[in-house]
Amino acid sequence: MTAPVLYPFRTCNATGHRIDLSAERLVKVNAVAAVVSLLVGAIAALLLVLTRWQAIHLLPAVWYYRILGVHGMNMLIFFIIFFEMAVLWFAGTVLLDARPAAPKYGWFNFGLMVVGALLVETMQWSGRADVLFTSYPPLMAHPLFYLGVIFFAVGALGVVGQFFATLVIAKREKTYVGSMPLVVYGAMTAAVIAVITLVHGAAVYIPTFLWSIGLIKAIDPEIYRLLWWALGHSSQQINVAAMVAIWYMLGALTVGAVVLNEKVSRSAFVLYILFISMASAHHLLVDPGFGSAWKIVNTSYFMYMAVLASMVHGFTVPAGMELGMRLRGYTDGLFGWLRRAPWGDPGFSALVLSVVVFGFFGGITGVTIGTEQINITVHNTLRVPGHFHATVVSGTAMAFMGATYYLLPLVFQRKVAFWKLAKIQPYLFSFGMLLVEMGMTFAGSFGVPRRHWDISFSQAPFGVQFSPAVDLFLAVMGIGGILAVTGALAFIAIAVKSVFLGEKVTEFTRGVAMEGVPQGLTHPPVHPANADEMNEAMHAPERGIAGATPGTLVLVGVFLVAFMLYYFTNWKLLTFLWKIG
Amino acid sequence: MAAPPHDADDSSEPIPLGQRLFDNVFLLLGLGLLVMLVAFTGWGMWEILSLPPATLP
Repeated sequence: MTAPVLYPFRTCNATGHRIDLSAERLVKVNAVAAVVSLLVGAIAALLLVLTRWQAIHLLPAVWYYRILGVHGMNMLIFFIIFFEMAVLWFAGTVLLDARPAAPKYGWFNFGLMVVGALLVETMQWSGRADVLFTSYPPLMAHPLFYLGVIFFAVGALGVVGQFFATLVIAKREKTYVGSMPLVVYGAMTAAVIAVITLVHGAAVYIPTFLWSIGLIKAIDPEIYRLLWWALGHSSQQINVAAMVAIWYMLGALTVGAVVLNEKVSRSAFVLYILFISMASAHHLLVDPGFGSAWKIVNTSYFMYMAVLASMVHGFTVPAGMELGMRLRGYTDGLFGWLRRAPWGDPGFSALVLSVVVFGFFGGITGVTIGTEQINITVHNTLRVPGHFHATVVSGTAMAFMGATYYLLPLVFQRKVAFWKLAKIQPYLFSFGMLLVEMGMTFAGSFGVPRRHWDISFSQAPFGVQFSPAVDLFLAVMGIGGILAVTGALAFIAIAVKSVFLGEKVTEFTRGVAMEGVPQGLTHPPVHPANADEMNEAMHAPERGIAGATPGTLVLVGVFLVAFMLYYFTNWKLLTFLWKIG
Repeated sequence: MAAPPHDADDSSEPIPLGQRLFDNVFLLLGLGLLVMLVAFTGWGMWEILSLPPATLP
């Protein structure tokens, strides 16, 4: 006997999903907290690029390092994880038509995260936690800083636990048939990686807190680094899994993307679960305390399994979009499906920009500089932030922004404000970030250190002179930074205006375009009745190696050539560093 | 997310072992933790703790 639905819910007019109202409120507050964190992080970002741009050099040293810590915590932890909590509530309940597990406990966890974030902010802004994002001992912050991080992590871990409990409820109450949908599977992957991450976070921050209040005499810096990076890097792998899940979701919403092969996509997520966290060892590649075997096994053999997974998603996401478009009749040539895609839909443009920059820039540079031998030419240079801004900002943040343009009408039931601005925002943000990443990467290739306030070493007892080209690259970074922060502030303005002052929208009349509503909701991509036959024809053996998605195959070929060129160029650069014979 | 039409599930068929394993969230959680704790954390801790003490100059 099916139990009656006793909890308050509404039915989404566009998707038909049953939306639990308590879960919906938790999605909203977490998303709002994420945007507030993004605002703080973006202001900090502007101050930082205007300082690292040597021609301006805005902040004094103390404030530069302080703001660098603020930027790291707000962008890499608060913005990203608050948004991921929203994703977990959304995926666990809305996409499964399920009720959330213990929603009141969700509010407790959210409160814990907010209190934790406020403690960290207060300590950082007041100068009592000038220990940067990594807070390596023997640098010591005020105990409330560590306590704030612990509160935030415990709250996040609580939400992850509720997500797993929601999955159990959904399965028990049979709100879905068969395996959970692929987007939820991606969210589940993110949740598993979050547990791995937060277990290590507890292992590192609880002793450090006890050390800061004098209960523990000393913290071993090397053990701290090992455990901290299992938190610091793995937390960014939560992003990767959540981002890929959003790619699949946006592909389906915007152009009717299909899943080419469920087994392949799910296998790639499982590879993430098993192997992606080992990428943390990249940060320890020049640490003398670890042997080569540990470094190479973790950053090469195991990590390459996760790279394989990313390359699988890098193919299946655009190929799913191509097949979806071809099934809808956009079959002309190699790239007709791409030309006729809805480029004015910010959800779609954000998706494509996220996939392209994450793959071409973030992925290629990450694998290359994560190789033990090449890493010696890169370690602690500006190339490292050049890489991770491409993954975390151009990849993850861009995908989260794209998802927001759909969440505003679907969850907040508000039209997207400043619609014309919203249409160009992904391009502005992505182009600005690309300049930042290129400026950082090229400056880092000339040896410019990361994190450093003054690369002229003006008060040092020895002289250092970088190539004059470095000034150009830092200027490119600075200009890109201004553009990207403008794009981020535009996003924040759109989100805030939409949520608090936006026009309410509850009905999406099919076929009728609405200002402020993405086309995927008013013109949902529908496959024709004969999609089965079309699909069979497109997979016919006589189509040869190009198969059903020839355009994506070409794009993947371009990617692989770029990957090989960049990888081998870096080996060549290594030979310049150490000449043998 | 829509599946391609030719991949539609037939609920009358038994669920393959691989799919059952992939659907087992808590098995994946356990394996993810185990691999990380053994290959990265445990091995890394062993490397650090087995280092000989540095001799003073």
